[in-house]
This record gives sequence, C-alpha cells and structure tokens, in this order.
Amino acid sequence: MELGTFGAILGFAMDLEERAAGFYEEVARAGLEGAFGELARGSGSRLRRLERARREMVAEMILESITGLDGDAYRVDLNPEADEAGLLRQAQALEETAARFYRDAAAKMPIQEVVRLFQRLARENEQRKAMFGQAC
Amino acid sequence: MGITALKNYIGSKWVASQSSEILDVHNPATGEVLAQVPLSTVEEVNKAVAAAKEAFLEWRETPPLVRARYMFRLKELMEKHFEDLACTCTREHGKILDEARGEVRRAIENVEVAAGIPSMMMGYNAEDIAVGIDEECVLQPVGVFCCVAPFNFPAMVPFWFMPYAVACGNTYIVKPSEVCPISQNQFFEILDEVDFPPGVVNLVNGAKGVVDALLTHADLAGVSFVGSTPVGKYIYSTAAANGKRAQCQAGAKNCLVVMPDAVLDRTVAALLTSAFGNSGQRCLSGALVLAVGEVYEPLKAQLVEEASRLKVGNGLDEIVQMGPVVSQKALDRILGYIEKGLEEGAELILDGRGVQVKDYPNGYFIGPTIFDKVRPEMVIAREEIFGPVLGIIPVADFEEALSIIKDIPYGNAVSLFTSSGKWAREFKYRVRCGNIGINIGIAAPIATFPFAGMKDSFFGDLHGQGRDAIQFFTDRKVVITRWF
Repeated sequence: MELGTFGAILGFAMDLEERAAGFYEEVARAGLEGAFGELARGSGSRLRRLERARREMVAEMILESITGLDGDAYRVDLNPEADEAGLLRQAQALEETAARFYRDAAAKMPIQEVVRLFQRLARENEQRKAMFGQAC
Repeated sequence: MGITALKNYIGSKWVASQSSEILDVHNPATGEVLAQVPLSTVEEVNKAVAAAKEAFLEWRETPPLVRARYMFRLKELMEKHFEDLACTCTREHGKILDEARGEVRRAIENVEVAAGIPSMMMGYNAEDIAVGIDEECVLQPVGVFCCVAPFNFPAMVPFWFMPYAVACGNTYIVKPSEVCPISQNQFFEILDEVDFPPGVVNLVNGAKGVVDALLTHADLAGVSFVGSTPVGKYIYSTAAANGKRAQCQAGAKNCLVVMPDAVLDRTVAALLTSAFGNSGQRCLSGALVLAVGEVYEPLKAQLVEEASRLKVGNGLDEIVQMGPVVSQKALDRILGYIEKGLEEGAELILDGRGVQVKDYPNGYFIGPTIFDKVRPEMVIAREEIFGPVLGIIPVADFEEALSIIKDIPYGNAVSLFTSSGKWAREFKYRVRCGNIGINIGIAAPIATFPFAGMKDSFFGDLHGQGRDAIQFFTDRKVVITRWF
C-alpha cells in the first residue's frame, strides 16, 4: 500500500505501534511480564506521541505529496503463542522493521518536527532491538 | 440514518428555522445528502442580532482574563473533538483528511492566539503631554459583529475572526456557507459546551437574504467576509453604505514563478500541492506557473508526470491525495473553463476530465488538469477557475514574470521558486500582493499574522487574524486628564 500522504504515514505508524503494544501485552500476560510489559507501556506512549503529532504538526503550507514509501515493505507477522525464543525473535524483527520504517519515512517527510519525532522513535526501536539481542 | 435538519443557534438555544426554503447538503465524494440547511428568515436574523446586542452589555464588562479562559476551554474541546471535526469537514467539503486536519489546526491556532487578549488588548499612555496633563488610549469592544463564511474552508474561516471579536468583548453571529454548513454546526455544539453567556455567539444558517438582513441591520457593527470578488465588492459597499466596518477577502489568480535556479524536485512537490491541494479550491491555490527561461521544458515534464500520479478519491481514505470538488455546479463551471481554454488555443497536456473513481460513481471528481502554452490575455489566465486546473506560461525572464503578475487584477498570493537571495528579495519587494511565498507554494499566514490580500483580492484595510483582528474588533478611545 502506497503511503503518499502525511496522514497515511502517521496512520500506518500508529497502526504499527498499536500492533506492537497488543503483541507485547499479550506476551506479558502469558507470563513474560518483565521486559514485554515495559515495552507494551512504551508502545502505548509512542502511540500517543504519534497521535499528537498527527493532530498538532500538520502544516497546510507544506502538505506535499510523498512518493516511494510502500507500507507492505514494513509488515511483520506476529504470533504471541510462540515459545520464548520465538517471541524474542519476533520482537527483534518487529523493532528492526519499525526502526527501518521510521528512518525511511523521516527521509520522505516534509515536516521537520515529524522528521525529528520519527528519528527519535527509530533510535528507541534500535535500543529495544539491542536489548533483545542481549537477551537471546 | 435520517437526514439532519440543521438548526440556528440563538441566545444559547438551538432553534429550528421557520423558513420554507431548505437546501440539501451533499457529500461531494458520494453525492449523498448529508443534511438540510434552512435559508433563515429576516425575523430569525433580527432575533440573533437582538440576542447578541443584549449579551454585549455584560460581556464587554467581563474582564479580558475571564474572556481568555473561555478561549482556553474552547481550545481544549476543539482538541478533544479534533478528528471528528476533521472528518465532518472532509465529508461535507470533499477535501482530504490531511487538509481537513490542517484546517481545524489553524482554527485552533486562532483560538490560542485570541487567548492572549489580556495583553493584546492593552492600550498605551503618555505622561505630561503638557505639564501636568496625561493622555491614554484604551481599546474597547464595539458591539455585534458577523462573519459571512465561504464553502472552501468551512471549519477554519470563521475562526479568523470570531475568537478575536469575542475575546475583545464583542458578540458574534456566524453565517456559514449554505453549501458546507455542517462544520460550523459542529463547532457550535462545542461552543455550547464551552457555555458562553447566552447571545455571545450565535449561528444563523442561510444565504443572500440573511446576509442582506445582517448588513442593513442598525445594530450590527461590522462584517467579515471571505468569498468571491463580486460578492466581496457587494458586501463591502453595502456595509459601508450602512455605516459598518467591513473586511472582505475575495478572489485570486495566483502565480507561481519558477526561476532556472530553482531546486526542481522540491519545487514540483510544492507546485503540486499549491495547484491541486484542496482540489484547487483555495484562495491561495497556485493557478499559473510562470516558467522562466530554460526551466520550462524540464519543469513541464516533471509536473505532468507527477500530477498524473496523484491519487484522486474520497478524502476520508488516508491514501487519497486529492478529493472531489465541492458540488456538481462547481464541477460544471470548471469543465466550462477547460473548454474555454481549448477554444482559446491553450494546449491541454494533462486532462483530468472523466476521471473514474472506483466505488464512487456519483462523486464530483475531476483529476489534476494542466494547460500549456497559456497566454496572459486568455480567460483561463485571468479568471479564477477555483478547481484543479493549472496553466503554464513560458516567460523569457524575471521581468516578464513580474509584468504578468502586475497585470492580473488580483493580489492575493504569489510564490517564487529560486536559489537566489537576490531574486527573492527583488520579488518580495516589488510584487503587489498580500501573501508571498519564497519556495513555498501555499503562503498561508499562521494565526499571529494577518491573512493579507491586495487589489481585487481584498476590500478593507484591516485583515483577519493576529493584531489586525484586534484592531478591527476594537475602538480606540483617547482620554486626556488634568487634575485641579
């Protein structure tokens, strides 16, 4: 799915965070509360930041159309019922994909405030992925 | 779900109009009827003015700090209902959600700025203008004001005026566009929740009959208008003849000048959003590209290529980049201009007519349309089309571009795309136009700046938004004091 507008990109990002939060919550409930519970709460906070960005950072004068960003390239299949090693691998893939999405989207976005937000989110994803790397 | 019959809001009460004249409000993407709007009667206008006049007596004495708190409450509620407001705007107007969000954002910005009224409304004084004599100037509210709003920004435009008027201590009546009245209805639900004293803010639906009744009413102090030039002239002259203040933002024919040293990729992106954003139904829309020298051929090629890729559809779908135009009437008018352009000999290099949008056979859709080899004397180069139709005029140099801009009767917006500070400085210094973009395709002033306009694009002296709005909605009173 081509993400050619500010709203489409922010909507995709919010969907990504919602899926991440849902996945981490489910895993945390299944007995891996520690890090996964923290991540679920973190994704919730990131979702609110994105929602605020969509509401507050929209600038009519530079609502330029965006090309070359395909949402299908950032889909991750998630199965919260996998074993612990499988969950860690999925979490790593999720964080890696999210980081790649935010970096790619930041490069396309004409609104600098959103570029900065996406870069911050990508850095957080990279830190989270590194944390899973240590756990594996 | 039944069709909503819109009501008036007078004296903090929702009141059904007694008018027998009722119009359907359509969703331009689907053609479905969303609501019915009454063309209210003169008696209903009189009731709104009477409610506003009565409310003025106490409201003007309400301390500015307290009036500011109403603005804070209004802002909070607008934030809370942000997505709903944007969706309503898209449903009734057709613009894409991003554009609707931008519109609601600007409405909120104006409320935020108006919340600064305690300092913005301060006067000034001087001691010893003669020995032992002091002089002061205070700003006071004037009375009852109204806004006659356009269809193209149904959520935002009344907020260029109303928050400032009310924060200054005036009372207010909004007459929304009869084509897109639902957004203002929704805002008035919020204003009702803010709980302004009865009569401070009022809504009267209608068309010309309501406007005439307002403009000739003895108790109305002034009017703010946004719309076409003929109607702007009419409102300005009628208001003046009746001793009222008026600020009338009118039509436009905006030029986008591209110099050979422009950064082409960024320029094309800006031109596309300028010409085709809001489906070209902005008074800030770029209508003519003046391509200087050797930039003409590569610019034309890239414009056509990228414009042809814009996704047209229902604005509620986030991936859509351009929505329908507002009505069948608007679509017919735009198609008429395209025919006119062809008759005049312009070359149609991107034809948006007959665009098919899957699942929306009844929508008022037209795709991005580009004419090449437009000449300045053509009708399509002189009249406001108010649709997604862009004309390209190749020009030899910067001076020729300025000469074309000078001959256009409008002075709403112009933009220059260049890497040269020298050309940019020369451009902004010399063009007679209210809103100027340098490497910006939509020169839309934020709420702290006036929404400017010159020539046939504006009638009046003080504009909407910012300090101009405070001046428009206040009287200045000078007091000279000597104590014996």
